[in-house]
Amino acid sequence: MDDRHLISRVQAGDASAERELYDTHVERVYRLVYRLAGDADQAQDYTQETFIRAFGRLGEFRGEAALGTWICSIAVSVALNGLRRGKRLRTREVALDEAATAATPDRAAEPDLRDRLARAIDALPEGYRVVFLMHDVEGYTHEEIGRTLGVQTGTSKAQLSRARARLRRALADFARG
Amino acid sequence: MTGDDDEPLDPELRDAARAYHEPPEVPRETLWTRIQLRRAAEPSAAPGDSPGTRVAARSPRFLVWGAGIAALLALGVGIGRLSVHVRPPLRADATPVAAAPARDDAAYRLAAAEHLGQAEAFLTLFRASVREGHRERLAPAAARQLLATNRLLLDSPAATDPRLRFLLQDLELVLAEIAQLAPERRHEDLKLITDGLDRDGMLVRLRAAVPAGTGAVLRKGVL
Repeated sequence: MDDRHLISRVQAGDASAERELYDTHVERVYRLVYRLAGDADQAQDYTQETFIRAFGRLGEFRGEAALGTWICSIAVSVALNGLRRGKRLRTREVALDEAATAATPDRAAEPDLRDRLARAIDALPEGYRVVFLMHDVEGYTHEEIGRTLGVQTGTSKAQLSRARARLRRALADFARG
Repeated sequence: MTGDDDEPLDPELRDAARAYHEPPEVPRETLWTRIQLRRAAEPSAAPGDSPGTRVAARSPRFLVWGAGIAALLALGVGIGRLSVHVRPPLRADATPVAAAPARDDAAYRLAAAEHLGQAEAFLTLFRASVREGHRERLAPAAARQLLATNRLLLDSPAATDPRLRFLLQDLELVLAEIAQLAPERRHEDLKLITDGLDRDGMLVRLRAAVPAGTGAVLRKGVL
């Protein structure tokens, strides 16, 4: 269905159109915010907030991008803001935890590839991480990423390239076998 | 993936990357219920970076129940106003106004429909939350508010409809159980309540009793 038609039905108070809009986009939104957050509760919170904002701001949608892209841009914004706040809180907590466990040796001598890669992805700068997850993990195109994040396609490509380079370096010993 | 002229990751790394924060199945109904509750409770909230939104992002689950409670309070106040409005003066010589009963019945039916819609949304969220293993410490408070509204409706002309009265009476039992959840027996009680919900078909009965579009009416702030 045409985005404009669906939006006008939602704005006219058609409850089935609201549900249709939600059903069409919830999977993509939830997957994306889950990839960013890695936590079911947070992913639900961010998805909920995304749709609250999307329904509240439908009048601002100009149709310059697809509706799904516009909703995903809200989702990324909500998730990154939430994660930044959480990170600030955790930083304070970790400082206390580290003081308490300073003498504890490393728990795993040789973590497997997935663990190492997960840590390397976590360590990527935010912009690299988002582009990498959207492109290489969730399958978005650079054009979609550019419109979602409000950056040039070339920027998306450059960030992906740098993200991959960092991950290769972090896992070089695995690559060498 | 299109437009990618950089060398892709090795297949082994790419597969491992796909396992990073791999999403589970989307909890569609739970999320939809949460969204509906929030929107019903905050009809005019502009969801920007307001302080309220920031609080919501920090403790959304708390806010869901809180928002539910706020909506129910508003509904309770609405029903209270209707009760005051329609109560006839206690005068022996008073003559009934012919047009009033029909208008009041319609108002009570609307209040009952909105209450049942709220109860259905609450119980759906409650059941989904219990199944996902959340400890809903705020659910008893929301249930108490619904219970108060439920009792107002049971004492109102809305309860003259026998089907509605039976539904409200059954709903009262469920809400009373949730309202009285004891922290030390919470796990067993939660299971008994959710099993009871399924066994008695309460949610199906509530959905059947709620006319389509009630949520939209509530969002527009009829009461």
